Amino acid sequence: MILTHFQSMVIFALCVSLAFAFLSKETTDERIRYAIWAFLAFLVVAIGIGWLTYPFSR
Amino acid sequence: MAETQKHPINPALALVAAVAGWFVPGLGQALLGKWGKAVVYFFAVAVLAVVGLRMRGNVFTSNGADAFDMLGFFADIGNGIFYFLAGAINPAGPNVGIAAGDYGTRLFATAGVLNFLCVLEVLQIGFGSREEGQAAR
Repeated sequence: MILTHFQSMVIFALCVSLAFAFLSKETTDERIRYAIWAFLAFLVVAIGIGWLTYPFSR
Repeated sequence: MAETQKHPINPALALVAAVAGWFVPGLGQALLGKWGKAVVYFFAVAVLAVVGLRMRGNVFTSNGADAFDMLGFFADIGNGIFYFLAGAINPAGPNVGIAAGDYGTRLFATAGVLNFLCVLEVLQIGFGSREEGQAAR
């Protein structure tokens, strides 16, 4: 199975944000909000760091 | 004010559930009646572990050469049954010479650490140190 870096990152972010939401929140509403927030935060931060480090990649 | 309940303190059940939850992710929560959490934790850990292995991620063994290998082993062993089935899930073995193999190593280690967090939650619920609202299933 060959996945791109982005695809693996999305799978990572989905699974971890879902598990974190159930670990840390009690109600369904809180869990949904937290899972979406954490998922987007994972992606935004990773892509942001990717762009910031791009000039040093070569 | 939300109603909260403490699970009855039963050290034996908590320990059995913790070991069961380590071996099969989510089983600890299932034994304590938290079926929703059990399903979510199982799929979260299973997806990360299986994808990590299928991407030909490395699986660390207990006879590691240095501290980082031991750290990797500690993270990987958290996968429970997926650690012992790693050879069957990915018969081709690890290949960290390609980028996908390196990502797979991280995904598998993440699954193990995530499962350890779930085991800690089982202990918290089982020993009654965590208040569970009625919605928390």
